[in-house]
Amino acid sequence: MQSIDGDKTRQGLPPEVEGYSPGSEADFERLYRKTYRRILGTLITLVRDQATAEDCAQETFERAYRNWRTWKPEAPVEAWLHRIAINVAISDRRHQGLRQAGELVRRLGRPAPGLDPSVVAERSDLVRAMKKLPTKQAAALVLRHYHGYTNREIAAALGVPEQTVASRLAAARKQLQGVLRR
Amino acid sequence: MSDIDREIELELKRVLDPLAGAPIPARRMVRSQSTRMRALLGGAGAALSVKLLTGVAVAAAAVTVAGTAATGSLDPTVWGQQVKDRVAECRDKLADGQHGIGDCVSSFASQHGQDVASAARQHGSENPNAHGGNPNANDHAKDKNSGRATPSPKGGRVDPEPEDPTGTHPPVTVPRQR
Repeated sequence: MQSIDGDKTRQGLPPEVEGYSPGSEADFERLYRKTYRRILGTLITLVRDQATAEDCAQETFERAYRNWRTWKPEAPVEAWLHRIAINVAISDRRHQGLRQAGELVRRLGRPAPGLDPSVVAERSDLVRAMKKLPTKQAAALVLRHYHGYTNREIAAALGVPEQTVASRLAAARKQLQGVLRR
Repeated sequence: MSDIDREIELELKRVLDPLAGAPIPARRMVRSQSTRMRALLGGAGAALSVKLLTGVAVAAAAVTVAGTAATGSLDPTVWGQQVKDRVAECRDKLADGQHGIGDCVSSFASQHGQDVASAARQHGSENPNAHGGNPNANDHAKDKNSGRATPSPKGGRVDPEPEDPTGTHPPVTVPRQR
């Protein structure tokens, strides 16, 4: 499956192919440019709107940067980033209620919606339904059906058993069936 | 792959693929420890830091000066050792059956005090920055001892006693007032 930035390479390539050195500033910048859109794509399906997804993407890379020196090259770097991104999305959902007032002000200040990709995402029934799913279920779905990870890779990325990933995917599909059949 | 899986894939592709052309914003920079430290040291923090450092420096200087004035040495243990030696010496001087070394030790202590006071005065007059460079500061140490015989400091330098050559100043007669 083609990934979000048109790069057909598989995610989670072995580190020797990706060539990232933990702690290298230049490598982190390269990683950021290579993976930003994919991380953003995942987050768009998990948090309520694009602005929040962008904030969460930045937060993801901030957290990743803080731990960049300790990143172990044995782990696929993008899987590691997705794991962080999903945790950021979970935190964001927890704090959503507190931030609603500020978010409203920010939306009022935004330009009128046009053909912005975020608008497409926000108008999609599927994406809207995914946002109502538990974050971990929605994450499994986007990693499997958009980024093309296998269940095993998702399990490794999220640090859960493969069977858990299968259960999450099954539960998510069941929830979404109703939406897509409408 | 089931129909539902295919539908999910197509929909996600339709929704998320347009992001491929979206610009990548500049990465938000992480505030490092040194940046936080700079923030603390800048602005109001800087003023506070300068005050704290000044306070510490002044306190350290005061302790050093006090120690030096009391012992005549930068090492505060020196004076203690001198007194100890003097006590032992005074005890040895006592004849059998005699008691009390107070006078003997006291004379040494007072002599030492005068010595270091004189040395401190000397240092103060040589150092234009004495009293923190305050031009309005009075040299109280000098005033206190003017007209009084000053004992010889350790270095052996003695301020000469003021002398009145004979005949230079005729005696003054103060008329009695009624």
